[in-house]
Amino acid sequence: MSVSPPSTPTYPPAIEHAVAHIGELLRGDYPLSPRTIALLLLQDDPEIWDEVQAQESASTLERIRTLKKELEAAGETPLAWQIEHQRQLWSQQIAAQVTQATRPPRPQTVADWIGWLCMNPWTGFPILALVLYFGLYQFVGVFGAGTVVGLIEENLFGEYINPFVENLVRSVVPWRAIQELLVGEFGVWPLGVPYAIALILPIVTFFFLVFALLEDTGYLPRLAMLIDRAFKALGLNGRAVIPIVLGFGCDTMATVVTRVLETRRERVITTLLLTLTIPCSAQLGVVLALLAAYPLGLALWAGVIALVFLVSGWLAAQVLPGRATPFYMEIPPMRLPSLSNVLLKTLARLQWYFLEVLPLFLIASVLIWVGQLTGLFDLALRVLTPLAQLLNLPAQTSVAFLFGFFRRDYGAAGLYDLHEKGLLTGNDMLITAVVLTLFVPCVAQFLITIKERGWKTALAMFGIAMTVAFGVGFALSRLLSALGVQVG
Amino acid sequence: MRRQTRAKPTVLIVGNPNVGKSVLFHKLTGRYVTVSNYPGTTVEISRGLMRYRGREFVIIDSPGMYSLTPITDEERVARRILLRDRPDLVLHVIDAKNLARMLPLTVQLMETGAPVVVVLNMMDELERAGLSIEVDALAQQLGAPVLPTVCLSGQGVDAVKELIYERLAAIHADLPARD
Repeated sequence: MSVSPPSTPTYPPAIEHAVAHIGELLRGDYPLSPRTIALLLLQDDPEIWDEVQAQESASTLERIRTLKKELEAAGETPLAWQIEHQRQLWSQQIAAQVTQATRPPRPQTVADWIGWLCMNPWTGFPILALVLYFGLYQFVGVFGAGTVVGLIEENLFGEYINPFVENLVRSVVPWRAIQELLVGEFGVWPLGVPYAIALILPIVTFFFLVFALLEDTGYLPRLAMLIDRAFKALGLNGRAVIPIVLGFGCDTMATVVTRVLETRRERVITTLLLTLTIPCSAQLGVVLALLAAYPLGLALWAGVIALVFLVSGWLAAQVLPGRATPFYMEIPPMRLPSLSNVLLKTLARLQWYFLEVLPLFLIASVLIWVGQLTGLFDLALRVLTPLAQLLNLPAQTSVAFLFGFFRRDYGAAGLYDLHEKGLLTGNDMLITAVVLTLFVPCVAQFLITIKERGWKTALAMFGIAMTVAFGVGFALSRLLSALGVQVG
Repeated sequence: MRRQTRAKPTVLIVGNPNVGKSVLFHKLTGRYVTVSNYPGTTVEISRGLMRYRGREFVIIDSPGMYSLTPITDEERVARRILLRDRPDLVLHVIDAKNLARMLPLTVQLMETGAPVVVVLNMMDELERAGLSIEVDALAQQLGAPVLPTVCLSGQGVDAVKELIYERLAAIHADLPARD
């Protein structure tokens, strides 16, 4: 076999220049070519740095560090990433040149077939719609958030546990303010415990169960491949599917899970999309309750939210510097889920939920108590009421908006009463649902966003969500009346 | 360096996990195998002897590695063998179905200046996936020999032995083979 000299990729000129320069500077005796040593130094390889530090003079080391710093300052992405990216491009090129299809790839088994159908755009999107309808809407929404929550919240907590705790506190604690803090209308107990345990917990349990099932069958990586191209336009890649899908269960957890993304840019875009557009299971429950009687309203709501998702993601990708990173993922075979795996994963996530999110709801109920006591809420309502009126909504809806920040379902009951009295039309319900979905994150998600992204980013997202929510609500209200659309 | 003190030519097998490295190792070495921990670690490496045409070659099976910039202990050991023990030939075993994902490591190996031979394994699965690879064109592009194999069935393994012999019999030719 005749073979030409080894050929390796050429890196961007700035890197090649630095590699040549470092290669000339090296004086020591190394087991590797100067080129490889230089490349590994640029990639911050600790072992090679140790070796070079042992063998080179202080001035040489200083010059290498300066060269590396200049190179890092000039590029957008880490050097190691640029080098690896070039290798991958080069590899893909060669692989494409020498590989031919002898026949169209044919799935081998039934499982392969299903897997292939999930990734093919023509069949993949309809399958996604089915998964969302049955998995999310029917199982988590109707059964979990409706039937099961109804049983636990109304019967168990409403009739037995809550009255018992209230009586106990009122008879044991003598001070009125403390009684209010604990079991008052907006106290720690009624807002924190039944909300977190009777309402959110069953919903996220059902959601985590579905999520673990999808994970274990091998559907999620296929969904990631299916969505990858669309997500590129939003500055993301297929990997972002995992936090985004989790967001439909709990946006707070999804915000933590953005850690799986590679760059800060992707994490910021994903956090923004979660804050703004992805309704968590509790929000979905509220929206379904509001719009159950209006199928057209429900469809319009979904359309508006999807549009805001795409536009805000696209805009964020334009504004934030950097590029979408390429996406590689092992696609495991499709298989029947193993029950023990699914239960184990669900339990692990529930444990996380208990430890991380539940305390935040208790903090939130203390905040509500403080807000009530100090009149801060009245102040906030004075800001929100004109905004609600701008959308042609009754002033009382602003209460629902304010409490939407603390607990998603709280406003829903009040809105429902307004609707019964004929004060809210179908159009008003649609606009309220859209504003409630886009409106600020819940308090737990906000606190996690501060922790994960920092104060400034979190506050900026709060502001953006506020502006977009009322902006879109306003545009929608004008558009509906201009077009004369009545959803019910 | 080590090269002068070593009696037999050494071949190192490297590659991602689950590409057939160990199968190739056993096909090349047969029963002359010792398994030991790499000094200072708990990572096991296998060394074996390959006898071919009256000569002996040391074959080392390295732990799986994805990249030359190590993340796991296994990768660190694989790299240390490559860099410190300086094998006379490096067999990079790759999964032919996933060529594009395997080549970045080939590049990194070639960049070290090591003499690399690409073992294009799992050719049967490639065919089943409805694909084919022009082996000569790939060798031309890489500037390194490429040998197609199906290590599980043994197909192509003789060609690997032959290439090792051709490349390495000249080295240490002054040392007689023990038999």
